[in-house]
Amino acid sequence: MRKFLSMMLSLVLLLSLLAFVPATVAAASETEAEMEIEETEPVIEYLPNQIPEGEPTNMDPVALEDIKIGFVHVSDPSDQGYTYNHDLGTQHMAETLGLNEDQIINKFNVPETAECATALRELAEEGCHIIFATSFGFEDFVLEVAAEYPDIEFCHATGYQALTTDLPNVHNYFGAIYQARYLSGIAAGLKTETNLLGYVTAMPFAECISGFDAFYLGAKSVNPDVKMLVMYTNSWNDPTKEAQVAQALIDRGADVIGQHCDSTAPATTAQQNGVWHVGYNSDMIEAAPEASLTSAVWDWSQYLIYAVNHRVEATAIALDWSKGLADKVVDISALNEDIIAEGTAEAIEEAREKILSGEWDVFTGPLYDNEGNIVVEEGVTFVEPQSAPSFEFILEGITVVE
Amino acid sequence: MDNFVKFINAAVLAGTPVLLGTLGEILTEKSGNLNLGVEGMMFMGAISGLAGAWFAEQWFNWSGVPAALIALLISFVAGAFGALMYAFLTVTLRANQNVTGLTLAIFGTGFGNFFGELLGKRAGGFVTVTAHTKDAFANLNFGPLSKIPVIGRLFFSYNWLVYFAVIVAIALHLFLKHTRRGLNLRSVGESPATADAAGINVNLYKYLATIIGGGICGIGGMYMTMVTTGGIWVHNTIRGYGWLAVALVIFATWSPARALYCGLIFGGLMMLRLYLPIPGVPQQIYDMLPYVATILVLIGMSIRQSKEYAQPKSSGLNYFREER
Repeated sequence: MRKFLSMMLSLVLLLSLLAFVPATVAAASETEAEMEIEETEPVIEYLPNQIPEGEPTNMDPVALEDIKIGFVHVSDPSDQGYTYNHDLGTQHMAETLGLNEDQIINKFNVPETAECATALRELAEEGCHIIFATSFGFEDFVLEVAAEYPDIEFCHATGYQALTTDLPNVHNYFGAIYQARYLSGIAAGLKTETNLLGYVTAMPFAECISGFDAFYLGAKSVNPDVKMLVMYTNSWNDPTKEAQVAQALIDRGADVIGQHCDSTAPATTAQQNGVWHVGYNSDMIEAAPEASLTSAVWDWSQYLIYAVNHRVEATAIALDWSKGLADKVVDISALNEDIIAEGTAEAIEEAREKILSGEWDVFTGPLYDNEGNIVVEEGVTFVEPQSAPSFEFILEGITVVE
Repeated sequence: MDNFVKFINAAVLAGTPVLLGTLGEILTEKSGNLNLGVEGMMFMGAISGLAGAWFAEQWFNWSGVPAALIALLISFVAGAFGALMYAFLTVTLRANQNVTGLTLAIFGTGFGNFFGELLGKRAGGFVTVTAHTKDAFANLNFGPLSKIPVIGRLFFSYNWLVYFAVIVAIALHLFLKHTRRGLNLRSVGESPATADAAGINVNLYKYLATIIGGGICGIGGMYMTMVTTGGIWVHNTIRGYGWLAVALVIFATWSPARALYCGLIFGGLMMLRLYLPIPGVPQQIYDMLPYVATILVLIGMSIRQSKEYAQPKSSGLNYFREER
């Protein structure tokens, strides 16, 4: 029976490989996203087992000095990017809450495979009360392990399934990073001389697409003639490939490189070629002082402190947590004063005020996709229905090279 | 034309670490040792080279060229050390070559990642060499030569390790084809019993070729940390380049001279997606190309049954004088 099942499963897998997956996925999600374009604030409907934010959970409260916190990361701080920055958040949290070093257990370089489930179980067995998993591909393993350990809170960054699973101990968190990307795009739009931006991004799905859309819209807001090329690395953390893709974009004429991948390789490649760069996750000026203009950055410590405090009191963590520029969860790093174009700081401040006013957001219509279809009507603002981004139209002026 | 030059530049940079691994493995296999541990030796060279440069900066305050030379030396020693273990196991103890090689690949991967993270902890987060040392691995400027249109950019625009790899390839070719010792080595790889009867010290040749070959693989690994990732230790830096090198040995049909342009072809196939994308063809298809090319060469070789393009005959077999 098992053999038969596994054979069937592998057959299904093979078939799905053969089918032209990206096309069907794109078609399916298009209709979905169209339905979601509404101005109303999303309302959370709780499933039977889920506990509304702030209500007491079934877990036992734990003293702050006894709590153990686990982290599962896809790479390690040497990426000087995503994991580095998330780890800075961890350190800041530990300082703020006055935690000891031995209360935090980090699992670095965990691949998005069954090894993730093993790492999660190890953390659970080591007595962690709350576990953070920080990479998109960890989500299924988080769900699997969370079902086995109902007394442990599991928080997963960038995921989308906490709302639809009825496990009360799984939570998603992310933020409106597109707002920060919009601001960083302004620096790129003012700096470019060839009017061609290049963008190194990881995977062809909504988190990445909404990211480069926002970056491009920021650039276009100050430079109407600007165009952008996008290339995928198909990996979250592969510095070799990231450098090669950045080089290929520069070779195609791009003179500002934006990025949505974990390492500083695009920044150093831009510097070697004498062009400019806008980073992600952390201030990359140190890695590329002559190229890095600014970066869109996260402050993860806010969520970590919030979630750990709730675990201490044994009250429910929000199922789906998302904050943006207004709460400083996302922002841009200090501008590189030596190389930014004149007027960059002023233009960014103006856009920041506009976003903070609450009346305008990045995805305000009219917006067209790169086939000329209108995707957001004039006067309408697309609001993300949950923390994980869902906006996945490739906008006019952007060319994806694949 | 411009795009073509850029494509070739990218292909050369991507092909060089694989070429170095291949040259090391060709030398090894010429002695009749099929060392599948290239991936492991490249990992050992990668972390040791970076660690060497980093400690040279920390302890002796050497940066730039001296640190680069230390990286070269230490990565060679580390790769050679991995190969020494292999040679001791297979030549002296006569362990199975395939199993030993695979073990070395796994061992080296762990060695690299373990010490990479240890070094990162010691350095407080992550290891990175100074900008001065990074510059020592930047593309060279040959002055007027680099300025010749097209030719300058095609031939005189790389970092020193690229030229080093080319010199190693030519030197290996000359050694194997035009020296008495090269002939001896080839005969050890083809038929160790015959070589033994002719008074050649089979074990000495096997040891030396394997160890030096491993050292060259180690330098290939050092290229990955010092050039490709810019002097930073990244978890799993080598990620499969060692196996590509083993495939390239077959693709180049065990000739260091052919490895030169076959390495360029391999680099080109790896870069193809970025420079000549065909809409609708997924990246995974492009990633298969070097291996597909290798399979095609294997098929072609087995059809032609050529003696010149074949693997050294005793490759993979241990030699035991008393066993006749």
